[in-house]
Amino acid sequence: MGEIRWERDFSEAIKKAKREGKPIYHDFWFEG
Amino acid sequence: MNTGPYSDQNVQKFLEDNFISLKTQCFFDKPIELMEQFNITWTPTLLIHDRGGREHHRIVGYVPVDDLLAHLDLGMGKVFFDTNHFSNAIQSLNSIIDLYPRAGATPEAVFYLGVAEYKKHHDASALRRAYDTLQAKYPGSEWTRRAEPYSAIPAHAEV
Repeated sequence: MGEIRWERDFSEAIKKAKREGKPIYHDFWFEG
Repeated sequence: MNTGPYSDQNVQKFLEDNFISLKTQCFFDKPIELMEQFNITWTPTLLIHDRGGREHHRIVGYVPVDDLLAHLDLGMGKVFFDTNHFSNAIQSLNSIIDLYPRAGATPEAVFYLGVAEYKKHHDASALRRAYDTLQAKYPGSEWTRRAEPYSAIPAHAEV
């Protein structure tokens, strides 16, 4: 299994989630 | 680049098979709109949204692999539960209990499993079973205390 394909835009993630019928896993992160 | 739990092949496969994965970088000196929208005040904060973007599950702080996998299943189960897809919710919640009995999210999964079974079959004994399981396996959990009222239900109750 390779890399996780991360989306970076919430609206695009919703479009993709609707298209693929999947929920969204959303990681809010901070580079400290 | 996938680091931490994201370098685990089981996490990668679970996310790729079951979710659209999204990363949002936070800036606390100048919070971005999504931080305000979802009230993000600490990181990592991990949310599970339905396909319309509504939040159903939240995890704050670092979680190791098995806890993360259990939370992913729990989040999926809660999306199904909240949208009245009880058979799918039961499948996700049972998966957590079978695969990750020691994970932090599992007592919550037992609680929701009882409620999902009750909502699907209209059989109150499912609530009693949830309490009995919680009392036997997770006596110190808050979810056991939340299920305490179900201890009064007869073990073979109907509606």
